[in-house]
Amino acid sequence: MTGFIVRRFGQMLLALLGVSVIVFALIHLVPGDPVRIALGTRYDPDIHAALVERAGLDRPIPIQYASWLGSALVGDLGVSFRSGQPVTGMVLERLPATLTLAGAALLVAVGVGIPLGVVSAVRSGSKLDYTATAASQVGVSVPDFWAGIMYILLFSLILGWLPPSGYVSPLEDFWGWLSHLILPALSVGLVSASIVFRFVRSAVLEALNQDYTRTARAKGLSRKRVLWDHVLPNAWIPIVTIIGLQLGFMLGGVVVVEILFAWPGIGRLAFVAVGDRDYTVLQGTVLYIAFMFLIINLFVDILYGWLDPRIRYD
Amino acid sequence: MTDPAAVLDAGDPPVEHRSRLRTTVETVLRNRLAVAGLIMLTVLVVVALFAPLIAPYGINEPDVANRLSGPSLDHVFGTDNIGRDVFSRVVIASRVSLQVGAISVGIAVALGVPIGLISGYYGGRIDSVLMRLMDILLSIPAIVLAIAILAALGPNIFNAMVAIGIVYTPIFARITRGSVLSLRDAVFVRAARSIGATDTRIIATHILPNVIAPIIVQTSLSLAFAILAEAALSFLGLGVQPPDPAWGRMLSEGRGFFQQAPWMALFPGLAILFTVMSFNLVGDGLRDALDPQQRSLIESRGVAE
Amino acid sequence: MNNAVLSVRDLQITFGTRDGRASVVNGVSYDLAAGETLAIVGESGSGKSVSCMALMQLLATPPARVEGEAIFDGRNLLTLDEAGIRKVRGNQIAMIFQDPMTSLNPVRTIGHQLIEPIELHMGLKGKAARERAADLLDAVGIPSAADRLDDYPHQFSGGMRQRVCIAMGISCEPDILIADEATTALDVTTQAKIIDEIHALQSRLGMALVWITHDLGVVAGIADRVIVLYGGRIMEEAAVNELFEGRRHPYTRGLLESLPIPGRERPDKLNAIAGLPPDPLSMPPACPFAPRCPHAVERCSTERPELRHPVPGHAVACHFDPEELYD
Repeated sequence: MTGFIVRRFGQMLLALLGVSVIVFALIHLVPGDPVRIALGTRYDPDIHAALVERAGLDRPIPIQYASWLGSALVGDLGVSFRSGQPVTGMVLERLPATLTLAGAALLVAVGVGIPLGVVSAVRSGSKLDYTATAASQVGVSVPDFWAGIMYILLFSLILGWLPPSGYVSPLEDFWGWLSHLILPALSVGLVSASIVFRFVRSAVLEALNQDYTRTARAKGLSRKRVLWDHVLPNAWIPIVTIIGLQLGFMLGGVVVVEILFAWPGIGRLAFVAVGDRDYTVLQGTVLYIAFMFLIINLFVDILYGWLDPRIRYD
Repeated sequence: MTDPAAVLDAGDPPVEHRSRLRTTVETVLRNRLAVAGLIMLTVLVVVALFAPLIAPYGINEPDVANRLSGPSLDHVFGTDNIGRDVFSRVVIASRVSLQVGAISVGIAVALGVPIGLISGYYGGRIDSVLMRLMDILLSIPAIVLAIAILAALGPNIFNAMVAIGIVYTPIFARITRGSVLSLRDAVFVRAARSIGATDTRIIATHILPNVIAPIIVQTSLSLAFAILAEAALSFLGLGVQPPDPAWGRMLSEGRGFFQQAPWMALFPGLAILFTVMSFNLVGDGLRDALDPQQRSLIESRGVAE
Repeated sequence: MNNAVLSVRDLQITFGTRDGRASVVNGVSYDLAAGETLAIVGESGSGKSVSCMALMQLLATPPARVEGEAIFDGRNLLTLDEAGIRKVRGNQIAMIFQDPMTSLNPVRTIGHQLIEPIELHMGLKGKAARERAADLLDAVGIPSAADRLDDYPHQFSGGMRQRVCIAMGISCEPDILIADEATTALDVTTQAKIIDEIHALQSRLGMALVWITHDLGVVAGIADRVIVLYGGRIMEEAAVNELFEGRRHPYTRGLLESLPIPGRERPDKLNAIAGLPPDPLSMPPACPFAPRCPHAVERCSTERPELRHPVPGHAVACHFDPEELYD
């Protein structure tokens, strides 16, 4: 098991390295002079020269990369062209907002998707199964930001129950924070719930059809016992994987929802950086998002290995 | 001690292509959801093909007097903030969406399938390097990667197609590689090799036809996601640029006029939903018919192999 | 038979498929005496597994439809309610299956899986249950039994896993043990050992044994009586020696003659039975073997042959007397 963990960790580091190269290369593919564009109307040759020198943009690219990577390893992702703020600080400032949104959405996804998926599989072919499966087909096909728009329409503008956008810190106003969280979490969460539902249903169905389930029934165990002691413990393993993947995906993938609801998360930061041509911020943000995704994947892999005795006791 | 009839059952003979196509079609047609998807898809394609004829107005015919008016006989989906007919814009935007979807997925297939073929067939170093590269691409959530690529290349419709194509390349590479790996050591391939067939010939005539099935399924599913991605990008202003209409951008425009004209955002969104759903239903139907073991895009993204 | 522990009467099992109704078992009847070893022989698709799974209501009953009677302990197993059949499963009738690799739950220890039926049916708990589980593993020949209770299935070899399954099967001292191709997935040496072990256990416990197989060699070694199934019907039923010597039904004869005999001069080709097994979706109306039978006449395709008894205790489903067919 330890060997397994070490290997996966090594793979993660390699992947992260690769991502850093790609991110760096992408940003530096941009034609034109980033500093000049970032300065825009505030262009001044002296400021320009100073910024270029401070950002090290006059050095050869490989050296720039090495320098950036080196700093990144100690947590320094450079400074924003626009504001001069350290990128790491900007990212960390907005991290909680994205994390809470992703967490809430995951809660919705799991809370809806898993129970429905299990019941649908156990009662395969029933009306409930058909309805849930059909609903999930719609859920998977819905653009999450359009769903968000519709929810705003219904719950904010028509019913007036919830605020249409914005963010309030939970430390200042807990209920306000919660009411601002609900709609964005639902937008992302229900789509994710559809994906989780489909996966859970197929994982449970597969476990139900396995030989070991037949053996369990042949021993005279009750249906409940067969389900909880034999079917679900096996189905649980791939289900954990998909939940982890969903979380990892959400951490960066909620960009559009963050923008729609003016939720001050990292995704929104990245997007704004694109508009501002603020490449250090963009670089740092994408790297951070990839890093979190990889860490979660690593964690999921390890969890998978731990849950499956075939891997744990190797 | 052998069971006489078992001798006859041992080993599946290679499947004749014609009958396999027939059984696939039959299986798909029996699946009611898939048939619904096919019908939806047909409607979509017809609308896109004949868009200029179907749309009663142009994409840019402002009628300020009638701006922000609701659905009526004149304007089936209502009018937007400068009086343009929403229905016409939605219909004509279908062309853009389908085009972007088709071309992006085309790029993903054109890049991903060869990578998968080479990786799976030759194995070793090449395989490691290529799959590492694919893993790196998969480490960044799709939208973020697309945004980063568009930041580098500049936001317009062509670059959007390239960006989405690159984002979905790894999944095609993975799937192709998986199929190739399971076929590489199959008896009929070894037989071909033993009579001196070149690698290219083996890949082209023996392996490729058998990996087509999962690729077809994935194509349909990826088309669905590509259209969602395009909508998200145009919503953010990074995809299709004005004056070309795009569903995503119509959603973004509609946002500002929620209270007065919710139909501006409602109908383009429904169009996206309709389109994506039709590709998903057809893709699911194809998968159930061709290869029930295969997982969908989301499920196979990043799962440890 | 009066001391029959199980009486199956006119068992019919059909499955609803997309292409129509498949008749998998078409009127099977037999008695099983206490302590007897009955072998059910047939090819894949002959209905042998399905007929036994139906006895424990292990078939999913939409697609499947089960008709007939299976009288055990004074009750009809096929119509017992859920609670009733659960008391029988694993307790009075146990079944072990073909593939030991997949028949055990990979995420639970074998101790846990062994103890489940012991706790459920015998009321033993905690240490007593564990002790019994260890004794069972010992009885089936697994070394260091007590220590291995906390191991997982993947930590055992194929043969050992099948032994664990056997231990699970006999754990509550059932009246009947059904072994469905229980040694088919194992190598020949292990096969022989396991067959001997089951036989020994059977004598010790006084269990009846139903051995489902397609392998006639195994039958010769283990069975008291044999039923030959084809197309979901009984073609021939006899005591084992009678069957091998008499070989009265054309299908049985075909099976036995297709066995290559070691020592004899190598034939130019194997004597396989020409043709393919019948399609359950379109079962031949009368004798299912008629399409492939070298002695078939028109009557065989129109009139269903009933079981005749050329000698007592020996049944053959054929219109002809063996003397008429062979000489």
